[in-house]
Amino acid sequence: MSEKYVSLRNLTLSYGKTVAVPNLNLDVVEGELIALLGPSGCGKTTTMRAIAGLLTPTSGTIVIDGRDVTRVAANKRGIGLVFQSYALFPHLSAFENVAFGLRLQKMPETEIRQRTEAGIATVGLAGFEKRKPAEMSGGQQQRLALARSLVMEPKVLLLDEPLSNLDARLRLEMRTELQRVQKKTGVTMVFVTHDQSEALALADRIVLMKDGKIEQLGTPHQLYAEPATAFAAEFMGFENIFRVQGENLVSDFGQLPLGFKATSPMLAWRPSGVQVGQGPLSGRVSASSFAGGHREYVIDTALGQIKADAPIETLEVPLGENIAFDLPKSNARQLSA
Amino acid sequence: MFSNTREGLALALPAAIFALLLFILPVGILLSEAFQSDAGWTLSGYTDFFSKPLNQTVFLRTLKLGVLVAGTAAVIGYAAAFSISNLSPVARGRVFGLVILPLMISPVARTYAWIVILGRTGIVNDALVGLGLADTPIRLLFTETAVFLGLLQLFMPLMIISLLSAMENIPRDVIPAARVLGANWFQVFFRVILPLTKEGLVVGGTLVFTGALTAYITPAILGGSKVLMLETLLYQQVNVSNDFVSASVIAMILIIMSFTANLLLKRIATARK
Amino acid sequence: MKNLTSWAIIGLTLIFLIGPFIIIIFAGASAGESLAFPPDGLSLRWYLKVFTIESFRQSFVLSMGLAIFGTLAALLLGIPAAYALNRYELPGAETIRTVVASPIIVPGIIVGLALLRYMVIPLDVTVTVALFMAHTALVLPYAVRVVSSSLNNLRSDMEEAAVLLGCTRLQAFTKVVLPNIRGGVLAAFILGFVTSFNQVPVSLFLSGPGVRTLPIDMLAYMEITYDPSVAALSALLAFMSLAIVFIAERLLGFSRYV
Repeated sequence: MSEKYVSLRNLTLSYGKTVAVPNLNLDVVEGELIALLGPSGCGKTTTMRAIAGLLTPTSGTIVIDGRDVTRVAANKRGIGLVFQSYALFPHLSAFENVAFGLRLQKMPETEIRQRTEAGIATVGLAGFEKRKPAEMSGGQQQRLALARSLVMEPKVLLLDEPLSNLDARLRLEMRTELQRVQKKTGVTMVFVTHDQSEALALADRIVLMKDGKIEQLGTPHQLYAEPATAFAAEFMGFENIFRVQGENLVSDFGQLPLGFKATSPMLAWRPSGVQVGQGPLSGRVSASSFAGGHREYVIDTALGQIKADAPIETLEVPLGENIAFDLPKSNARQLSA
Repeated sequence: MFSNTREGLALALPAAIFALLLFILPVGILLSEAFQSDAGWTLSGYTDFFSKPLNQTVFLRTLKLGVLVAGTAAVIGYAAAFSISNLSPVARGRVFGLVILPLMISPVARTYAWIVILGRTGIVNDALVGLGLADTPIRLLFTETAVFLGLLQLFMPLMIISLLSAMENIPRDVIPAARVLGANWFQVFFRVILPLTKEGLVVGGTLVFTGALTAYITPAILGGSKVLMLETLLYQQVNVSNDFVSASVIAMILIIMSFTANLLLKRIATARK
Repeated sequence: MKNLTSWAIIGLTLIFLIGPFIIIIFAGASAGESLAFPPDGLSLRWYLKVFTIESFRQSFVLSMGLAIFGTLAALLLGIPAAYALNRYELPGAETIRTVVASPIIVPGIIVGLALLRYMVIPLDVTVTVALFMAHTALVLPYAVRVVSSSLNNLRSDMEEAAVLLGCTRLQAFTKVVLPNIRGGVLAAFILGFVTSFNQVPVSLFLSGPGVRTLPIDMLAYMEITYDPSVAALSALLAFMSLAIVFIAERLLGFSRYV
């Protein structure tokens, strides 16, 4: 198994004069499911299109399975891409959609039939061969798009926001489906998403991107528990992020004393990491809502608003009243700038 | 979006070069003809043209008929489009089909019918004489009225189509909403419906106006040499008088008007996006 | 009550728009010698006579040829142009668009005159060739516009998908794009055909001995006599156009593209 199955070296990508991705370096391990995560405009889709060959790099190289494919045309790269819109061919049946690429390879008809049917079965669409894409549900279209790419036995399968067009229930179903297919075929998958929960749930590793650069790279657990920067922390649900200045926490609004000695320039707490009901600090409740297992408070403080989740057993504090709280050291995540 | 510029140009340029060589170039030369004289560049072609009373009459008549036809089409077309837009979807589709049907029929055929209607032995004259309203058939053909009717019939569908598409875009509930807020039908029309369909009126008006301006068949058949319009005048200048300077001037007038109208339509289309 | 007014307005408008066409049908079916409505008795003699008039037959063939081949040529030029304008980032795309659309802005009579004066006469081009060129140019804007709007509705990632499955750019076009814009292309063809066939002003100056399009020939015939044959021919042509449009509407919902 190659540690550098897909290797991006000093890759610079641009649209006209605007540089979308400057000097990117990334290695993808063979057989892994890796997520490119980030807000829109972070360069994740651009990077994916470059791997597919739909975008020619301004400089740098792309190596796949030991072969430099930087100048290889998209139709000769052997890469699969499942589009966000699925991009199914509306004039062809499900069967012909999947057989499309095989037919181009001038394969014998029996083999085309065999592989197409197997591909359709892999994604659980057996029996739907004659349907046109328009006659299928969103989830089925998604599976069909997946099958169409998989039958080509691509070296790498790219997926662009694979779950974004599905409703909540189907999204869960497709998540498991994608993992199952990946385990079964062993294909290396790179998928692009702006949804951190999707990346956390699916990926073996996550590449968090910002402004065309890698902000942090690690396993879902690493990113979730140990975000390195304010940007990563915010993306991973740390809603309370403040600067440290000597003995104080500082925001644009004001400051509060910090109860311990900090060694990093910034500190962050999840709402669940804020201790409510007791503590040296206090603020006024400006919003409070019931959320099942806990109660979500928004507390007005000298630092601005602090979001805090209180266990449901703690006494409810009415709107406008003062509430005691603490930002404990144990729950604080240390961040570099 | 592909970034291979050379490939894109190779696909687009044949059409562009074709239009350029066979269209823009010859028309450009024709337009330049009015500015040339033995002594060099001149505007005398234009001053001469507009100093002739006949040309003035034809120019003004063309404008007048254009405005009249567009205005009448707007009033009648508005009533018709509004009535059509209130029909059930099925009926609306059928009526719409009937409205655009004439557009597919040769203008020669459509104009020829007016000879049957307005001729000396046509329906109208038969009726007038038969009812004793006239002693002898009156001349209806080769009058401005005949040209006006012909043009109106020819271009009215364009007005109705534009208005219908504007009316389809009126949000469903604004009319009941205005009623509930206390507006009477008169107020509903002038304060809600009319402002919301203004664009369609301008689009339709422009299409009809330029259509009428640049029509040839209708003035040729129904106006003849008695009721010349710019296009028929141009034909006459070339075929009868061999006067290419005047032809060039008329061409320029027509193109400027048509071009302005198209700019206006384009602006409306982009504003809508 | 309101309904009644609506229908009255619609009815009167339709009579004004369609009535003349009905009159033509009957005027052509006259048994008498002169053009009249109501006709002096009914017969099909003028409808039949149309087919025996040699110049009509010749000009019909010419008009048909111009409409078919002119439109085909316009599509041949227009489809690649529409595709390029839609899918490529082109320098001067706006200029190309304007140039290709220009034939719709310039009144036909001017085009005909310009071609006669600066192509037919100085370059010794035959009138038929000039007519063909003029009709092609005339239909080009429609071809580009209708095909463009079909392409607009077709997401470009479909072509990218085809390329990633191994297609060349050309294969992606023929295997994926073309089958999906077939309706638009057919609609463009019909629209172009009808426009070209009914076109008068462009062909006005572009006629020579024995070379006249059908509408021009009809205009010339009318200058000699007002017998019902032109009415009959008009009715026949109208039926032909309507039949084409009707079939097209049935097949692909043509009115979407107009």
